[in-house]
Amino acid sequence: MPLSDTAAPSGRRRLNTRGLVPLLMILIVGVLVLAPLLRILLATLTPSGLEAWSAILASPMSLNLWWRPLMNTLILGLGVSAGCLLLGGFTAWLVVMTDVPGRRILGVMHTLPFMIPSFAAALAWGTLFRNSRMGGSSGFFEANGFIIPDWLAWGIVPVLIVLIAHYYSLAFTIIAAALSSVGADLVEAAQMTGARRPRIFFGIVLPVVTPALVSAASLTLAGAVANFAAPALLGLPVRMQTLSTRLFGMIEIGQAERGFVLALLLIAVSGVFLFLSDRLVSGRRAFVTVTGKGGRTRRFTLGKWRWPLFVAGFGLAIVTTVVPVVVLIASSLAPQSGALFSNWTLHFWIGEGGGQIAQGTAGIFRNPVLIEALFNTLKLGLVVALISMVLGLALAHTITRNKGTVLANILSQLAFLPLLIPSIAFAAAYIALFGAPFGPLPSLYGTFTLLVIAAAAHNLPYAVQAGRSVLGQIATDLEESARLTGAGPLRRMWAIIFPLAIRGLLAGAILVFVKMVRDLSLVVLLFSATSPVLSMVAYRYAAEGFMQFANAITVLILVICLAASLIAQALQARVQKWKE
Amino acid sequence: MASVQTEAKDAIRISNLVKRFGDFTAIPDLSLSVPPGSFLVLVGPSGCGKSTLLRMLAGLDEPTRGEIAFMGKTVSSGAGGVVADPRERNAGLVFQSYALWPHMTVAGNIGWPLKVANWDNAAREARIDEVLKMLGISALRDRYPAEISGGQQQRVAIARTLAPKPAILLFDEPLSNLDAKLRIEMRSELMRIHRATGATSVYVTHDQVEAMTMATHVAVMNQGRVEQFGPPRALLERPATTFVATFLGTPPGNLLPATRQGDMLFHAGVPLAPAALAQGRDAVQLFYRAEQITMGRAPDRPVLLAEFSEAAPMAGRVMVTAAAGALRLSAIVDHFPDTRPGDPIEFALSGAPDAVFATTGERIE
Repeated sequence: MPLSDTAAPSGRRRLNTRGLVPLLMILIVGVLVLAPLLRILLATLTPSGLEAWSAILASPMSLNLWWRPLMNTLILGLGVSAGCLLLGGFTAWLVVMTDVPGRRILGVMHTLPFMIPSFAAALAWGTLFRNSRMGGSSGFFEANGFIIPDWLAWGIVPVLIVLIAHYYSLAFTIIAAALSSVGADLVEAAQMTGARRPRIFFGIVLPVVTPALVSAASLTLAGAVANFAAPALLGLPVRMQTLSTRLFGMIEIGQAERGFVLALLLIAVSGVFLFLSDRLVSGRRAFVTVTGKGGRTRRFTLGKWRWPLFVAGFGLAIVTTVVPVVVLIASSLAPQSGALFSNWTLHFWIGEGGGQIAQGTAGIFRNPVLIEALFNTLKLGLVVALISMVLGLALAHTITRNKGTVLANILSQLAFLPLLIPSIAFAAAYIALFGAPFGPLPSLYGTFTLLVIAAAAHNLPYAVQAGRSVLGQIATDLEESARLTGAGPLRRMWAIIFPLAIRGLLAGAILVFVKMVRDLSLVVLLFSATSPVLSMVAYRYAAEGFMQFANAITVLILVICLAASLIAQALQARVQKWKE
Repeated sequence: MASVQTEAKDAIRISNLVKRFGDFTAIPDLSLSVPPGSFLVLVGPSGCGKSTLLRMLAGLDEPTRGEIAFMGKTVSSGAGGVVADPRERNAGLVFQSYALWPHMTVAGNIGWPLKVANWDNAAREARIDEVLKMLGISALRDRYPAEISGGQQQRVAIARTLAPKPAILLFDEPLSNLDAKLRIEMRSELMRIHRATGATSVYVTHDQVEAMTMATHVAVMNQGRVEQFGPPRALLERPATTFVATFLGTPPGNLLPATRQGDMLFHAGVPLAPAALAQGRDAVQLFYRAEQITMGRAPDRPVLLAEFSEAAPMAGRVMVTAAAGALRLSAIVDHFPDTRPGDPIEFALSGAPDAVFATTGERIE
C-alpha cells in the first residue's frame, strides 16, 4: 500500500526532529532551573542538613534565626504591598481616569522609580536620615540640627518607606494598564442607569480592575519579601534581619546548610503568596474585558481638586525619582554629608589617595578594583543579555512550534519558574549545585562563569517573554509571502525576520542588561574577590561607612543603565525607520 | 431654570441644537421632533454627527447651545447649562460595543441598573426573569459576558437597557458587530420589542436598509445637518436633496449632470429632457432610478454609452453597473448580460427623470 509506505518515514522524521528539540531544551532548562532547586532540597536532607532544619525551626535559636526574620519579612511584604496598592492605585487613577494637568508627564515619571535600583534609594535615604548612633558621619538632616530618632534612621520604617518608593511604580504600571482597558462605554453604561460617581467607581471600575490589583499586590509583596539591598543597608546595622539578610549571613559565615534551609523557606513564603493570589484571580473570575471601539476612556473632572492632586502626584514622583538621584550625585561630590551642596569636589571620583579626605582613600576612578568591577559589570551585563536572548528566542520558538504538546507545556512552565524564586534564594541554590564539583564540571563557586550561568537562568522568564513577543510580531504569513517570491531561507532570515525581530530582541536584551548591571541580591552571594561587580563594590563601601564612594558608584550604575536605555532607543529608531 | 414649554405630544423635541468640539462644529443647528411611540432612525455616513446627537440625547455629552426635551420636559439645555440626571431622563442606551460589565453575570448586568434605581429584591428578580424571557436568553442567566457569543451579548445588552422600563430607548449602531444573518434576525426582534414596549426609540445606523425597514421616522444626516426628515417612504419617493437621493435605495439611483442647449437638457451630447424642467437654470442634475434604465437601444429613447463593470443578481433580477467617464450608472434588468467587464454597452433611459436637482443639490422638480 503506497499510503503506509509514505506515511511511515514521515512519522519517524517527526519523532526525530520534532521530539528531540523540545527534549533537548527541557534538558537545558532542567539543568539551569530545576537542578539547582532539587540540589538545594537534597542538600538539606543530609544529616547535617536535617540538623540545620531543626536548628532553624525547633531550637532555642529559632526565634532569632527564623521567627523574627519571618515576622520582619512578613511585615515588610504586607506593608509594602499595601503601600504600593495605595500609592500605585492613586497615581494610576490620577493619570488614567482624571483630567489632572500634565497627565502624560506624570505617567512617565511614575514608571521611573522602578528603574532606580532599590539600593540607590536606600543609600539616598541613609545619606539624608542616618544618625550618629551607628558611628560614622551623620546624615544631612542630623548634621543640620534636626534630631533624627532611631526608628526613622534605621530598621523597619525606613526599609518600608524605601521599598514602597521603589515598588509602587510597578503597581502603578499594572493598575494603569488595567484602568485604561476599562472602556468609556462601561462607565457610560453605568452613568445611564443614574448611578452616582462613587457608586460607579465601587460598583464597576474597581471590580473590573480587581485582577490587576491582586497581581500588583502579589508582585510587590514578592518583591519586598525577596529584597536584599534595603534591609541589608538600613536594617542590618540595628540587627533587623529579614529572611534574605539571614540567608546571606548564614552563607557568608559558612553555615551553608542553614542558609539553604532559609532559602527554601524564603521560596516557600514567597510562593505561598503568589499561589494564593493566582487562585484568587483564576477561574471564572479571571474575566477579560470585553472591549469596545477604540481605547477611549472616560475621564472624571476633578474641578477644584485638579491642582492639589496634581501637586500630590507630581510631588510623589519628585520624591521617588529626582530627590534620590540628586542626593546621590550631591553626596558623591560633597566632602561633608551635612553640607550636600557646598565645597563640591571631585575627590571621591578621581582624587588621589593619601589626603585628608575619606581617611586617605583614593577616588573611585583611581581604584583598580573599581575599574575591574566596571569592566566586569559591563561584561556580565553583555554576556548575560546575549546568552539570555539566544536561549529565550530558542525556547520561545520551540514552545510556539510545539504549541499544545505536553513537552511545550512543561518547557514553558519550567522557563517561568525562576520568576517565582527570590533571586538571593536562587543564588543559594546555585551555590548548592555548583559549589562542589558537579559531574564533569569543577567547582564553579566564586567564578565569573557561575555568575553568568545563574544570571542567565534567572533572567530566563524575561528572555522567553521577549522571544515570544518577537516571534508574535512575525506573523507566519509574512515569512510565507517572502517564500513565495522565491527567496531562500538565509535571505528571508536576513531581509524579513531579522529586521522585524531586532526591535523586540534589543528591548529584551537591554532589559536583561539593565537588570544585571543594577542587581545586588543575585550577585551578593555568587560574587567573588576575583570577579567584583559595581553593585557589590558599592555595597561594600556602604557597609564600611564610605557613603560618598558608595553613592558615586551608584551614580555610575545609574548612568550606565540610562545610557543603555538611550542607546537602545536610538538603535531602534535607526533599524526600524518605518516606525513613526 | 425656566424650562421652555414644549408641546406635550412630542416624545422628543430637539430645538436649535449646536455642538462644538473646540473649533470643530459637529452639529451647526439642528431641530427635530417625534411623537411618542415612534421609531426614529438617524442615518448617514460615518462622521455625519449622528452618534454625537445620540450621546447628547443620552445625556453623556452636553449641547453647546439649544435644547432637548423629553415628554415636554427640558433635559438638556446648552444655554441654561441644564443636563438632567439620567434617572430623570428615563432613557436607556444600547451601546455599539454592548458595554457589558465583565465582572457581573448576565443576571447581574441586568439587575444592576435596577439596584441603582432602588428596586426591591423580589421586584428585581421578577423583572430580570421577565426581560430574560422576553429576549429568549433565560438559559444564560448565570453566565459571564466573556462566556457567551456576540449575538447573545447583544441580547443581554438590550435586556439590560429594557429592564428599568425607560420611556425612551436609544440604540447606537447596535447591529453593526453581528453577522449578516443574525443582523436580520435581531432587526425583527428589535421591532417586536419596540411594538411590545411602546417606548419611543432613537436608532443610529449607517445602514440605509436598516433605516428603511425599521423606522417610522427617518432623519438622513450629513455633515451635522438633517438633510431630510420624514417617513421612510416619503424619503424614498421624494428625496429632497441629491445626497438623500443617492444615499437611500438599493441599487442607488443615477444622477446625470445636464446642461441646457436650446429647449432641451443635454447630458454627454444626448438630449434627455425638456429644458422647462430646469426652471430657467443653465445646468441641473437629472435623477433616474435604476429601474428606469434598460440595456440596449430602444426606439425614441435617449441612449447613453458606457463601459460594463459588473452584474449582480438581486431578487430575481440583475443589477448592472457600468462606468460612463467618472459616472457610475446602475440599472436593473431582467437577464444577465452576455458581456465582459470593459465591453461597451448601451443604456436606454425610459420616461421623464424622477427628479431634477439644482447643481447645489436641492430639489427643484
